[in-house]
Amino acid sequence: MKKLTPEQLSRLHNHLLGNSTNDALITELLDHLACEAEEYLWKGYNFDLALEKITQEANTKAVKYLRETYQHEVAMTAEQLENASLDDIIFEFRNKAYGAYDLRQSYPFALRSALILGVGLFMMLMAFLSGMAQGSWSFLSTAGMMWMLGVCGVAYSLGTWFFRKAPHRYAVPA
Amino acid sequence: MEATSNEFLRGTLKTIVLKLLAEQGRMYGYEITQSVKERTNGEITLTFGALYPVLHKLEQEGFLLTESEEVDGRLRKYYTLTPSGSATAIQKVSEFERFVEAMQILLQPQQGLSIG
Repeated sequence: MKKLTPEQLSRLHNHLLGNSTNDALITELLDHLACEAEEYLWKGYNFDLALEKITQEANTKAVKYLRETYQHEVAMTAEQLENASLDDIIFEFRNKAYGAYDLRQSYPFALRSALILGVGLFMMLMAFLSGMAQGSWSFLSTAGMMWMLGVCGVAYSLGTWFFRKAPHRYAVPA
Repeated sequence: MEATSNEFLRGTLKTIVLKLLAEQGRMYGYEITQSVKERTNGEITLTFGALYPVLHKLEQEGFLLTESEEVDGRLRKYYTLTPSGSATAIQKVSEFERFVEAMQILLQPQQGLSIG
């Protein structure tokens, strides 16, 4: 049995990408077309001819038909639609791993963190200025309390941000 | 042939896929198209445009399990039936057999009906 070389595979892959194949289908389609190509090679065609035959078959129209049937077939059921958010509906069949969907999902959390952080910093600044103006410092005064509250707020928002979101979420898995 | 057979095929594609998987156990997409082509002597050819949506739909409905394996530098996705998939396969095939029998009765020329 003849095998495809990596560069022949990547040519097929590029062809599929060029026809904007579904994310969910592209690895399977690549395998499918590669199997077909190998069959042609086995029958004695050279790779270029095989590729031409395959790209003829898997042209933009065929891939578009595939995408449409796919979206029609694998669409959300009525039950799923009931529980789906607007984001889920808009981003069905689209990339959810990173980018816009991810940003939208984490928006309430980011907003809350930013609010607590902002208020905390403001309280710390006010307490600091009032301490400077008075020339003396006591943690038991109003300014001292504000300072401590501000520090808590800042620490809380930075801490939750770090544990929920932060670098490790965006790290490339090994 | 192409266009008309497609029309008949659309409703039976699920049954075909389930039946093949029930017999063979574990298959990947291209294998399914080839096996259909061989067994029907090329009379029925599944296009990838028709096959993969059905496979994914069946997976979504919980009838199929998938596992990916690397073969010759590319990922190959194998499908197997779940228990509920096996049950559905049996049910669909028997339903389809009844349908085919009924169709054959319909297609036979009617004899002697005008007498009675």
